[in-house]
Amino acid sequence: MSRVIDLTGLSAIYATRLLAEVGHDVIRVEPRSGDAIRRMGPYLGEKQDLEHGAFHQFLNAGKRSLTLDTSSPSGRRILDDLLQTADVVVANSPMPFDEAAITAANPRLVVTSVVDDSDPDICAYARSGLLSLTGHPDERPTLMGGRVYYAATGAFIGVATAAALLVAQQTGMGQTARVSVAECLQALFEQAMVTYASTGKSTERRGYRGAISAVSGAFPCADGYWMVSLSSSADNWHRFMDWMQDPVLAAEPELADEAERNAKRDYILDRIATWAGKHKKDELVAESQARHIPSAPVTTPLDLARDPQLIDRGFLQKVDHPEFGETLFPVGAIASLRGGKVAMAPSLGQHTIEILEELGYGPSDRRALLESGVV
Amino acid sequence: MTSVASQAPATATGRTPLEGIRVLDFSHILAGPFCTRMLADLGAEVLKVESSTRMDRTGVTRPDPNFKGRVDRPPSFVNTNRNKKSITLNLKAEPAREVTKRLASVADVIVENFSAGVMGRLGLDYKDLEPLNPGLIYVSMAGYGHTGPRRDWTSMNMNLQAYTGLMMVTGAEGDPPTCISSSWNDYIGGLHATFGILNALTERRVTGKGANLDLAQFEASVSTLGPMLLASAINGVPPARLGNRSTDSAPQGCYRCAGKDDWCVLTVRNDDEWRGLVAAMGNPSWASDERFSDVTGRLRHHDEIDKNIEAWTSQLSNVEVEGRLRKAGVPAERMRRIKDVMDDPATSSVYKTIEDPPGHPIRITGSPFDFSSSALTPVGTAAVLGADTHSTLREWIGLSEDELRSLDEQGVLV
Repeated sequence: MSRVIDLTGLSAIYATRLLAEVGHDVIRVEPRSGDAIRRMGPYLGEKQDLEHGAFHQFLNAGKRSLTLDTSSPSGRRILDDLLQTADVVVANSPMPFDEAAITAANPRLVVTSVVDDSDPDICAYARSGLLSLTGHPDERPTLMGGRVYYAATGAFIGVATAAALLVAQQTGMGQTARVSVAECLQALFEQAMVTYASTGKSTERRGYRGAISAVSGAFPCADGYWMVSLSSSADNWHRFMDWMQDPVLAAEPELADEAERNAKRDYILDRIATWAGKHKKDELVAESQARHIPSAPVTTPLDLARDPQLIDRGFLQKVDHPEFGETLFPVGAIASLRGGKVAMAPSLGQHTIEILEELGYGPSDRRALLESGVV
Repeated sequence: MTSVASQAPATATGRTPLEGIRVLDFSHILAGPFCTRMLADLGAEVLKVESSTRMDRTGVTRPDPNFKGRVDRPPSFVNTNRNKKSITLNLKAEPAREVTKRLASVADVIVENFSAGVMGRLGLDYKDLEPLNPGLIYVSMAGYGHTGPRRDWTSMNMNLQAYTGLMMVTGAEGDPPTCISSSWNDYIGGLHATFGILNALTERRVTGKGANLDLAQFEASVSTLGPMLLASAINGVPPARLGNRSTDSAPQGCYRCAGKDDWCVLTVRNDDEWRGLVAAMGNPSWASDERFSDVTGRLRHHDEIDKNIEAWTSQLSNVEVEGRLRKAGVPAERMRRIKDVMDDPATSSVYKTIEDPPGHPIRITGSPFDFSSSALTPVGTAAVLGADTHSTLREWIGLSEDELRSLDEQGVLV
């Protein structure tokens, strides 16, 4: 188990969440007033305070919280002391500490330095090209929901950090891992890059229809939407035709070819939509899965709150929440691999005293720090 | 837009993080190959197991008769499988499976993203291989994982965009399901797998034991929406669909400009920026309304404000809107199309240019991270099908020329 000092913002905090999922001791250093992540809605329950934000509750789960005024000299000294005991620190560049001095004193420290110009997020998203891929044709482009792009950038940052940590374990030497958030965002459209580089065409937003292969879309059905996504193979098309039994499409055998399907995409998709409108979502999904045709219901996160698959695999784990009672908590994809549990997110400064004790601050020192507002 | 590569000091010429790590790669299409490409970037020796009887179809989905480059490997195959070795093995033949077991016994990592049960039927499951190699890290990346009621479901990126709730948190209230035209969930799955592998390698150094990582791409994607799932579970309602709006900055949105399908985003985070916006628009009378003087009022009357802003933006090009807003201190950015991003080296720094074949420049995805001491593998191209079959069988498991000839004669190395 390594000790991770978490000074991240929203673009990197998913990285330290991943590190907490594998059991590292992740210490989140926060200002006494609480940070921006604690102020992000939606909130759990009625109270819109620093303890009830959903982002805080999920992303800080399994971490400890230390409140510290890093602008004061004694606050910075505590941070320095903490960094002497640490294996990893993740923060936005420039580092909020003297990197050269710290790494000279603690040469095994991995410093993950995040180059982040992604605030405000809507501007970074537009600049990256991703906005041009998100939304419906000719309609207003839109941000992806749930700030999910920051989980993606955080996952890259987690990978870079984990690689440096592996090296540190082998060599006893830390180093700096540098990650550019802007480059992470760009890297998330690499197929569109390939298409542009090899054909000169810009991939555009395609809404809920035909996103990657020709026959792929979220079609309205009798009670909502269902998603079906045929691969480019002829085999998939034949299996789908066996099921749909559309005499008009069946009369065009050349549609077994993906290029032909692409050429007639809207025409095909209109016919599928009309057919699907007569059936219920669960029936359509069950039947297509039985026929090995990739499909899924279009869900909201609420539909997944008691999802049997997520419960069976231990991704959703029963916890007795002090405020909300027995509830199912998402431990995360990495924690669930290990059958692990994840502790609830800490309240603001919950572990401040405990961590100061570990650093060797005695009772009188701690009292002085508390009284002066440093911690 | 800072390129990490440009920051790399000349000293980053040390060993790669995964030097000496052997990866036997059975994965195909994108999520798995994206993961193993990252392992290759980090210095692992990645051996892609292919067969001329069952090709990885990556890139075949976008045929283009005018394409002038390499024809044996489509561009997206090259992009996803660069820097890997290629071995051909016909796994339907028993001797090929025996060879594979021997390769597995000296590999550090196996990655596969077949449907649940496929590797088991080949006798190449974790439980088959672990006795031969207790240090093996075996990574499966099926859509829903190898256990649970949906273990046999087939899945693709779009299905995961649908089933994880992503399409119903993206877009505004009342919009139909809204997706991103990117294989988003493959990248998300690949990133989680890579993280899991790096962590397992670290743990193995302490315990000497490998790991069986049954990663579900579904769960990786649901994790990225963890806050939304948690809020829904506690509150019993689906999360609000905010579209381009924010809960604490207003106005914020994406506004239509004069050009065809041209747009510009802006956000107003405080009253100063609001005054900047009003000035940039030429101080129109509607904007002096008392109701808009603070963020609470602007959030409440967002629709009305949006309509007025768009009446202004739709008269101007998005470059003009962006320029005027920035000059007034308002964060703004015109929507860049893929072409715009790719044609500007500053906004496409992660995409490198190599020649493949010689004389034919192509763009390849590089790494958005680097290290001060450890090196990354320089960005290269994709191996010809089966190029490394004999050499790997010699180097990894010491097959003799006679043994190789015999396998060739049996037709299993194809």
